[in-house]
Amino acid sequence: MNDSERDNSTAGREGTAASAAPCLLETRGLTKRFGALVASRAIDLQVRAGEIHAILGENGAGKSTLMKMLYGVYVPDEGELRMDGELAVLHPPAKARARGIGMVFQDFRLVPAMTVLDNIALSSSEGGWRMRRKALHRRILDVSAKYGLSVDPEAEVWQLDLGQRQRLEIVKVLLAHGTRIIIFDEPTSVLVPQEVVAFLEMLRRLRADGYGILLITHKIDEVMACADRATVLRSGAVTYAATREEGGLERESLIRAMMGDKELRAVVKARRGPGTEGVAAVIEAGAEASDVANGGEAPGRTRADHGSAALSPIGKTMLAVKGGLIRGNHGEVVLRELELELPRGAITGVAGISGNGQRELAETLFGLRELAGGTLTVGGRRLRGGVRAFMDAGVSFVSEDPLKESVIPGFSILEHMVLDGLAPQPKGTGIDWKAARTELDASEAAAALALASAERRADTLSGGNVQRMVLTRALLRRPDILIISYPSRGLDIGTTRTIQQQLVALAEQGTAVLLFSEDLGELFKLSDRLVVLAGQRLLGPYAPEDTDVRQIGERMLKGESA
Amino acid sequence: MKATAALATALPEGQAPRSPRWRPALRQTLIILAPFALFAIFLLANGVNPLLLYRAMFVSTFGDLYGFGEVLIKATPFVLTGLAAALPARAGMINVGGEGQLAIGALVSTGFAVFLLGGLPSWLGIPLMLLAGAVGGALWAGVVALLKVKGNLNETITSLLLNYVAAFTVGLFVHGLLKDPESFNWPFSPEINWTLRLPIIDGTRLHVGFVIAIVLALAVWYVLGRTRLGFRIRVLGGNRLAAERAGMNVSRMQLWVLIAAGALAGIAGMIEIAGIEGRLRPSTGVNYGYLGFLAAWMAWNKPLRLLLTAFVLGMISVAGNSLEIGSGLPSSSVHILMALVLFFLLGSGAGRKVKT
Amino acid sequence: MIADILTGALRSGTSVMLASQGELISERAGVINLGTEGSMLGGALGGFAVTVWTGNPWLGTLAGGLCGLLMSLIHAFLVITCGANQLATGLTLMFFGMGVTAFFGRGFVSEQIVGFNPVPIPLLADIPLLGQVLFNHDPLTYLSILLVPLLWLLLFRTRLGVIVRAAGEREEVLLAAGINPQLVRYAAVLAGGFLAGVGGVQLAVAFTHSWVENMVQGRGVVAVALVIFASWKPLRAMLGAYLFGAAQALQLTVQQSGLPISPFFLFMLPYLLTLAALYLVELRQRSRMPEALGRVFTGTSGG
Repeated sequence: MNDSERDNSTAGREGTAASAAPCLLETRGLTKRFGALVASRAIDLQVRAGEIHAILGENGAGKSTLMKMLYGVYVPDEGELRMDGELAVLHPPAKARARGIGMVFQDFRLVPAMTVLDNIALSSSEGGWRMRRKALHRRILDVSAKYGLSVDPEAEVWQLDLGQRQRLEIVKVLLAHGTRIIIFDEPTSVLVPQEVVAFLEMLRRLRADGYGILLITHKIDEVMACADRATVLRSGAVTYAATREEGGLERESLIRAMMGDKELRAVVKARRGPGTEGVAAVIEAGAEASDVANGGEAPGRTRADHGSAALSPIGKTMLAVKGGLIRGNHGEVVLRELELELPRGAITGVAGISGNGQRELAETLFGLRELAGGTLTVGGRRLRGGVRAFMDAGVSFVSEDPLKESVIPGFSILEHMVLDGLAPQPKGTGIDWKAARTELDASEAAAALALASAERRADTLSGGNVQRMVLTRALLRRPDILIISYPSRGLDIGTTRTIQQQLVALAEQGTAVLLFSEDLGELFKLSDRLVVLAGQRLLGPYAPEDTDVRQIGERMLKGESA
Repeated sequence: MKATAALATALPEGQAPRSPRWRPALRQTLIILAPFALFAIFLLANGVNPLLLYRAMFVSTFGDLYGFGEVLIKATPFVLTGLAAALPARAGMINVGGEGQLAIGALVSTGFAVFLLGGLPSWLGIPLMLLAGAVGGALWAGVVALLKVKGNLNETITSLLLNYVAAFTVGLFVHGLLKDPESFNWPFSPEINWTLRLPIIDGTRLHVGFVIAIVLALAVWYVLGRTRLGFRIRVLGGNRLAAERAGMNVSRMQLWVLIAAGALAGIAGMIEIAGIEGRLRPSTGVNYGYLGFLAAWMAWNKPLRLLLTAFVLGMISVAGNSLEIGSGLPSSSVHILMALVLFFLLGSGAGRKVKT
Repeated sequence: MIADILTGALRSGTSVMLASQGELISERAGVINLGTEGSMLGGALGGFAVTVWTGNPWLGTLAGGLCGLLMSLIHAFLVITCGANQLATGLTLMFFGMGVTAFFGRGFVSEQIVGFNPVPIPLLADIPLLGQVLFNHDPLTYLSILLVPLLWLLLFRTRLGVIVRAAGEREEVLLAAGINPQLVRYAAVLAGGFLAGVGGVQLAVAFTHSWVENMVQGRGVVAVALVIFASWKPLRAMLGAYLFGAAQALQLTVQQSGLPISPFFLFMLPYLLTLAALYLVELRQRSRMPEALGRVFTGTSGG
């Protein structure tokens, strides 16, 4: 179960043959359907003690459905789950946990207002209602030391950064009684590069101690670095399975298995000049293929359309922040020494790992949050005051979560438009709804975005239609400056493309756009300039032509340019 | 209706729940009847025949003009204090301070009537007295509003606490400055001049205060439903974040909505003095604020529906009087019936959303 | 005179203190219960009635606590199971309590009981000043003082406490740990109702030795306010309750001394003090409200 194995910094495992290790968990023909959609199709999988098993796949390939079946959240429709060779029922999750399966969620299951110790006590079922604080304290420190997870038991969780929270989640799982299998869901997405190195090191230690590890990821480098076995999913089915022993872990075949034949279509990028490759090309290619499948046309714009190779100022500066300091909800510094200029007619894309100040920056630029230091000018004039002042100065804002922040329950689309978007239509003391309706019907933006009927209640709309609504609203105001957060989050490809085209068109009409996105492909496709949020700083701007996804990615992770 | 609306949000679009049309109607009827059935058990336990009582309630309401007038008299303050709860509710706030706002409105209007307005003709004196009541209630609500806007204190808690303070303030005055010198130590104010009494409809005790309440309910309905201001108030009540993002000054709106609500409750206090009692007693308008709150809740904070629910509560209150007279039950048992009605409404999800 | 006020602070603050400790448990689990007022009334009447019938105030205490618990069961059911609005439901429960106790309490208005009386603790009670203030009280007051550190230990030093607090913060974390948050909330609300009921008993059976219609007079509401004032910390809620009690004791003392201050000023004082304390605390620090409770106040989700 322990010692013996010396870890190398290299990836491979020396010595024992992995397949000889006992098989902890095995699935046969595991299938899960949601209505007509088959989310998982006849999946065979083995998790062995002392082995890192990577599950690879693009977004939507069915990784999370599979994990949820293994962790007992979903009951599989077909197929069997075996633990130690015997048929096992894992639903509900409590049963999975009781059988020794632990999960480190991507969005952590932690109570921010409580201490690390309390959070761990919550999940460990030992000791009943009591709590041996001292013993627990010591065990936390022991486990932390053993696996290089520095966790302070007395710290309050809200003070921890994402990496620390993840380490806490891992300690939680390790301290749970009888854990043998640990599922990691996209663990490195919240980590900075140094942490990734440490994380992989910790995985190897866990492996050495005989844990069976399932690593869900879409990052091939990590798989190459540490996995003993990999299973690739695409459209819910296994497209590739191999072990390192057999020599099956090879970059090209893994990529091919993930992407299918889509990869061959990564042609469009050729127009974009050198440097753009890797992930962006892959994402692009994926979108491309789906577009064609949906009967769409080629994407609206590539860099080449602008004809400018380098970072050329497209127009005068509409909004500028100098020496800005932005604080978060607890008064902590989120961004410092912020220098940002939004030029007319350009889309400035903001890249960054989520939680690096995106929300705070967007809110500051719309007057929802006060600049704690420095100056903010719009059209050359210093701007202070609340949202109203910013709106009057021509700033529009499409928030990160329109369902929560923009939709008013019970109100129709038309009412949302009159609230903000359509010019006020006074009629006596009331509102001239007919005139508003006529104006909305006549508007190009509404037509272009195929807005749902104006009488529809906005709270009954799907996410895509809500997004269309808030974007229509922003377009109707013909803003000088548009701050837009994650416009395509969770949307289907068709809606995404419509929205992207509208953004491009808006910029061409002279609006300065600040685009937040977690999709680097989207950022590269739409942006004239890119900035990166990392480590309390805003880096850039960079011209998309002069950089590539890998460089931007490294800046996102490391902060200072790599 | 609201319940299905709330459900619809959870469903994917285009899949409004379809059920036979009579089912919701039956459900609503049951929800309304069940509390009366439960209350009947209370009555039986106390040796009162509930059927006779319910019949007496009905007869005393609709039997003659006088009874009907009594119900309307009772309903009048409920409409106004109901508005004082409904208006802030539509802006996303819970004002339970109608009780204290009514008391202070009554106090201030009585004070003005006794010391300043006695010599004025009715056409001038009554409006001024009404204004004094409104200002009194508004000031009291203003405290709640300031605590909310400046101190971020929850308006429910502060308005509740201030209700007790208001009751003691009234006590302070009727035992002191505003005490009738000829009262032989009874705590009440001197009677206000007859010129300040509200005109009364012949054959009843019904006064024009009832008309004022209806007009104000219509006004609130109009403002909320038909004006730009009302639109903004409803936006604020629907989603505060959206209101902020649409550039509204949320704090200022909250401040003024609460003050307006206080004024409405204050007017109720003035009407109690000028329409019914003629003088201020510690018992003036006690519980009317709470009953108004309940009326507003039952009406889902819609001003026109509030007219109906206030009437129903008025019926129950009048019956409460007959309970005491006829069957020896304490009038407070009316609280039980009221609470039962509300429990069922709350439990059925009828009032789940404070705001829309 | 100061000794009188301090003694009175404990004596008349204890009912509020018990209720606020109960409310604190409930709010820590994410449920605000304005019906505490109703639970106190139920407890006061139930405790008084059983004491009249049996002559045993301890049985009365148990009965009062159970009455308070039953009251809060209504709240728990409507709020947790039916998803009703917490503030409105609590308020309705307050009325229900007023109505029911007035209804059933008529026969007890003129009853007399022995109830609980101050039991001086030997030796300790002889300490000058301190002895009278701290060691000459009824048994419920002693118990309530013991309760506070116990509650603190329970909430902050046991796993059970962690579970209760997690229910008030993030229920999905509890679900992930295989614990039913609804069950936790039920337990917390019922515990709160029980303590509020015992608070009512202290008021009727130990402090005033009588039953008067609507005798709680807003103490339940004050208890709810004190929990916010105390930033959801038991020790601070105790201090707040004694502050309220002191203001009430001051009123009695001033009246007896014949100072020319209107008693109504003094009646108001405890409520005004509560408000002022709330305001000052809120100005100094945005107190950290349990997350789930914050959603009740801002109405951003559920009910």
